[in-house]
Amino acid sequence: MQQRGGSIQRIFQAIDGHGGWLTGLLLVAGSLILPSIGIAAEGTTAGPTEYRDIPYVGSRNLVWVVAQLHLLLAGFVLGVPIFAWLCEIVAWKSGEKRYDKLAKEFTKLLTSAYATTALFGGILLFLLIAFYPKLMNYLTDIFFPSFLVYCLLFLLETATLYLYWYGWDAMQDGGKKTFHVFLGLLLNFFAFFIMVVPNAWATFQASPVVISEGTAIERAWAATWNPTWWPVNIHRLIANVVLGGYICGAYAGIRYLSARNTEERDHYDWMGYVGNFIGVFGLLPLPFAGYWLMREIYQYNQQMGITLMGGFLSWLFILQAMLIGVLFLGSNYYFWLGITYRIPGSEMKYRRPMLSMLVILLLCLAVWMTPHSLVASLEEARKMGGTHHPLLGVFGVMSAKMTVANLMILVTFMSFIMYWRAGKAETAGWGKVARALMSGVLVLASIAVVILGVWGYFVPAIIRINYFSTSQVLIVIFVMLTITPLTALLLKSAKTTTEMVWGRMPPRAGYSLVLNAVMVILLMTLMGYARSSSRVHWHIYGVMRDSSPYAFSPALGSAAVLMALNTFFFCMLVAFIFWVATMGDKAKATHGGSGKGELPHGIPAMAGGAPAREGKQ
Amino acid sequence: MSEVAQLQLIGLSIVGSGILILLFIKAQFVRVIGFVAIVLGLFSLTALSVPQMASLPPAEEKFDIATVKTPTDMAAIGQKIFFSKGQCALCHSIGPSESARCPDLKGIGAKLSRDFIFESLTQPQAYIYQDYRHEGLPKEYPARMPYINKDPIGLSKNEILSVIAFLQQMSGEPISVSLSELDVPGQAPAAPVKADESAPLAVAQAQ
Repeated sequence: MQQRGGSIQRIFQAIDGHGGWLTGLLLVAGSLILPSIGIAAEGTTAGPTEYRDIPYVGSRNLVWVVAQLHLLLAGFVLGVPIFAWLCEIVAWKSGEKRYDKLAKEFTKLLTSAYATTALFGGILLFLLIAFYPKLMNYLTDIFFPSFLVYCLLFLLETATLYLYWYGWDAMQDGGKKTFHVFLGLLLNFFAFFIMVVPNAWATFQASPVVISEGTAIERAWAATWNPTWWPVNIHRLIANVVLGGYICGAYAGIRYLSARNTEERDHYDWMGYVGNFIGVFGLLPLPFAGYWLMREIYQYNQQMGITLMGGFLSWLFILQAMLIGVLFLGSNYYFWLGITYRIPGSEMKYRRPMLSMLVILLLCLAVWMTPHSLVASLEEARKMGGTHHPLLGVFGVMSAKMTVANLMILVTFMSFIMYWRAGKAETAGWGKVARALMSGVLVLASIAVVILGVWGYFVPAIIRINYFSTSQVLIVIFVMLTITPLTALLLKSAKTTTEMVWGRMPPRAGYSLVLNAVMVILLMTLMGYARSSSRVHWHIYGVMRDSSPYAFSPALGSAAVLMALNTFFFCMLVAFIFWVATMGDKAKATHGGSGKGELPHGIPAMAGGAPAREGKQ
Repeated sequence: MSEVAQLQLIGLSIVGSGILILLFIKAQFVRVIGFVAIVLGLFSLTALSVPQMASLPPAEEKFDIATVKTPTDMAAIGQKIFFSKGQCALCHSIGPSESARCPDLKGIGAKLSRDFIFESLTQPQAYIYQDYRHEGLPKEYPARMPYINKDPIGLSKNEILSVIAFLQQMSGEPISVSLSELDVPGQAPAAPVKADESAPLAVAQAQ
């Protein structure tokens, strides 16, 4: 300890010339680290240290916050390139420059967001090594080869990102643009595998497979290829697209609310529309990926599935239903506001369908949120004849929940189609037949989904899970795959009866975009807690027990407070990243560096504006 | 005041602060923060209003030879090892199971001798059964039987004998493992666990 004290004094002397702030920072960091060093020293007398702790905060809470922020940031930096690349392709194929500028505006965020994500990743790694040395040693022993692959992927991703971002203006025409789009693909390819590799570590903890003897690569590969690896990969990939889209929407919403001129309002209204569109685009297939993941968990270990759906985590799924329900309502509401305010004259035409959709969504949400068992006093339970309510108990089971989830997806899809078709008159001769066909498909699909749902009550669970629920999912996918291309074909020859007007949305539209983003982030934090808690008192399920004081899973209420805190921190971090990334552009605009001819990158007017307005100018 | 009540109070004050911001502050960014605070506060309050169930870990089991008085004690410890440190239940089931990736071990203690089970655990490649077939499609994650006495599982001889005692008891067989076979700490081991990797690979029909 004497020696340690001397070292600290030497450090103070060395940094003396660098200003008091650095000393202060080191003091704060040191005060956090020192207690853990003390505990580690105690551990060494009785064998290798298995755990370290930190006073007041607790090692588990600290790791929870940092890991959650890292994961959310990672979702953001993996979602944004997909979003940006999709926008770039739309611009490339359609020639609409505003999409290209939007893509560039978001790619600019990546450099600072990427650094922040890596920073949190580094902090997380140090914390894990310090607080959970035994677990990290075990995982390193198994996964070491994949650590190297991960580092290599990082190098490739960074190099590609630099080329993609810095080469944007230089690669705008002809073959160079094609190469730039290819770079975007490569960026997303590496980003996907940067997500896939650590997913193997996390999913191995939840669904480990037996590791036999073999070479390091064989062992790592055997552990990587575990039952929940691919379901989580696909689920996270889609969720990242949703996150990217809705965060873009929220950013646009905030900027729309604080817009100072018409151009800004037009641009951020349009950006909000694009963000919401991409968010919904990802949201529709997301429940299917979630269903696949849950099914694999049940297949892997029924007990784990029961812990999640019927055990102490069962109420979590009521909260999940609430958040998803609000997200669906928020997304639909934004579509309906768009129809009402952007397409003059549509309000009366679509009022009734919108009202019907709202009623269906609310009814579905009510069913989805009905708990399986009710909290009741002994007297109440006696009156009900058990904890299952005679009427509501019917809605508390999976068959009902799967049915309403599919119906909500169908309604949201129809909302989107309605928005797409609003303000246009179809001119194709076969339009009537196509419309009748689409209506028929929709009605029959809805009836089939409901029939399968009701039938599901009367068959064994395994038949319902394997055949009925999957059939419901396939029916909804069929509807989407049939109606989307038909609508696209119909609208190809349609004439626009009412031009879309940007910048007229009421302020609540901006708030609904913010609400959607918060719901997605909360959902990610909630399901992260579910995934982690499903392992109960195991670091690696059934293999390595958690023998730390934090082996318990906290109750939902206290966990939710931490989730809310993490969501808030993340929102502030993203706001900071947006602020930093656009700071230079604002300064340029203030100093009039770009004159009136051409606006600099990131300036609102540059990245969009309504085609109608551009045409008029 | 209980922890839940304290957290509810915090949640309520956050919602209240959010409402005050929306009522009195004009700056748009701050108003959005107020709105987010209301949403997060309401989420926390909802989560605090549902039944609060924490999942507490069961007491940790340790193999303490002093507690083993009868073969039944040994089988009880073996059962715990089977479902935890031994990782047997990661692949094997006891009775038919949809999710089992490897042979069902129901009645295995009656089918196989204790020496054979011991060898199967410590030299899993010595004999390979050809008549083990899983009904239906092949499993997507074929697992190879690991050496139970080596890392990462690394069961001690006492632990392996306890698992055998459990398998025999579970199959309705008399437990053939005697207490005298257990290694007592501080004494020379009676019969060291041996994993002869150079054993010739043989193929046996399970009959």
